[in-house]
Amino acid sequence: MTLQLRAINKRFGERQVLNQLDLDVANGECVALLGASGCGKSTALRLIAGLDQPDQGSIRINGAEMVDVPAERRKVGMVFQSYALFPHLNVWENLELGLRMRGGTTSARDDRISSVLEVLQLSEQARQRPSQLSGGQRQRVALARALLRDPLVYLLDEPMSNLDAQLREDLRPQLRRLMIGGEQPVVYVTHDQQEAMALADRIAVMREGSIEQIGTPRELYLQPASTYIAQFIGRPQMNLLPAQKGVVTGIRPDDLRLDPDGTPCTILSREWFGSNQMLLVHCNSADLRLVCSGETEIDAEPRISWPTACEHRFDAVSGRRLPSD
Amino acid sequence: MTLLLASPALLLIAVVFGWPMLRYAWLSFHAHSVLTGLEPMANGGANWLRLAVDQRFWLDAGQTARFALISVGLELLLALAIALLLHQRWRGRGAVRALTLLPWALPTTMMALGWRWIFNSPYGPIEVLARSLGLNSLDLLSTPSITWLVTVFADVWKTTPFITLILLAGLQSIPEDLYGAFRLEGGTPVQALRSVTLPLLLPYILLSLLFRLAQAFGVFDLVQVLTGGGPAGSTESIALYAYFNGMRFLDFGYSSTVMLAGFLLLTSLILVGTLLLKSFGVLRHIDP
Repeated sequence: MTLQLRAINKRFGERQVLNQLDLDVANGECVALLGASGCGKSTALRLIAGLDQPDQGSIRINGAEMVDVPAERRKVGMVFQSYALFPHLNVWENLELGLRMRGGTTSARDDRISSVLEVLQLSEQARQRPSQLSGGQRQRVALARALLRDPLVYLLDEPMSNLDAQLREDLRPQLRRLMIGGEQPVVYVTHDQQEAMALADRIAVMREGSIEQIGTPRELYLQPASTYIAQFIGRPQMNLLPAQKGVVTGIRPDDLRLDPDGTPCTILSREWFGSNQMLLVHCNSADLRLVCSGETEIDAEPRISWPTACEHRFDAVSGRRLPSD
Repeated sequence: MTLLLASPALLLIAVVFGWPMLRYAWLSFHAHSVLTGLEPMANGGANWLRLAVDQRFWLDAGQTARFALISVGLELLLALAIALLLHQRWRGRGAVRALTLLPWALPTTMMALGWRWIFNSPYGPIEVLARSLGLNSLDLLSTPSITWLVTVFADVWKTTPFITLILLAGLQSIPEDLYGAFRLEGGTPVQALRSVTLPLLLPYILLSLLFRLAQAFGVFDLVQVLTGGGPAGSTESIALYAYFNGMRFLDFGYSSTVMLAGFLLLTSLILVGTLLLKSFGVLRHIDP
């Protein structure tokens, strides 16, 4: 384990932002911190970087305690949501600044900058100011700067949230190729569950300052530990049926199927996406989302059912997952 | 169309700036004084020839430039330090921020009167303090080599808050993430001041420099009330000299010449300053 957080507490005034947070990220592993805004995920990242100090707890990188090491000596490569490029310097100078401060010969610096610019297809933009670049180009400059840091850990704070959907998809393979799956642990903060599932080896879903569940995307999708996780992971959201005898039953929209022998229901709305379509149906006093192939003909009054094996069962009070019988 | 949209603003400038300037220029080529029965009479370039050899004018010009450059320089340094301090988070910062602005909010005349009393001899508190320490009378307001420093002091006291305010606004425009990124690149906070804060503050520094230089070069009320231009004309500014010519000697032709010459000197001072900054590559950092 090369990045290790133990019992981290952090308060801002009255608010407990992080509450006994534990996290382990192995070499070459990418862990996504996923959660709604205000859950503490960005704070956790800033603590690892050293930009804020935890009230209690330990942060170790390769076994070395980092809490008392100032940010400038922690050797972390961070990509900020705002990119944080220096507006008064051009792309080349932005990348050179850190290398210059950390020493080394001019020719070695120039070689490294040229090659990283080439890898990220930014050679043409080397003499441009950040204000002259597109969002995607700025983001790549920020990646280049983190790469040149030769960090022990990569920290990515919503690196793609300012980009449009198409650009995000284009950039994912680049991220994978350059940072994720290398030697360093990667912590990837995002509020986008799709991005987390696409990039992370494991996802830690955070809620109110601690991790509600951590596991592979597959584990989180198939075995959500609570109704919160169940509704956070997977789109469209999991259907939760009204509680019966203290048990809430959840069914994924793709597990519902049209069945002539099933329960009758009425269609509230229909969204057609080509390869699939989503129906919102009213059935036994519950509104359910159902996803099926785009080709399927839909009756005016369809009947639906689901295999019992696909049911997720949760405790109605605590929301925790109940062991399957 | 563009011109049409800009016309209200252009009209305003023409009325409040263009017209007076043209009037000054016109008057500077006329004799217009009690000797001409207060009627303008064309006198060719006589006013300008007189100005060229007018020792008092050139002495005043030097004094004015000295006052402006030293005051504004000191104000900038002080304001930078104060702004950096007020930008940090600490308890009671809000109250101190408000208090810092007070000198600027005071009318110049009132504050000049205040300082005149404080520095006066023999009853001012400074004199009393000096005497109680067994020193001779300081005569701060009647020693030509010292009194100009008193005017600088009063100006710094009054207008440092103004520059502080501009620089503080500038500091607040710098995103916090830039400092985070700079630290993670291996830079210390002291390096950040040089490599991040100052370059990004530069537009605000230049703005306040320009603003304050123009203001200080035309200094009138502060000097008029604090020293009246004395002792022995050692604190007389160009504006004060123009005022004396016009209002005391009723020589409006020459007064206009002095005023216009002061304006031209200021313009060339700023022009030279801009060229210097350019040649040192300082302006390169400002995003176009």
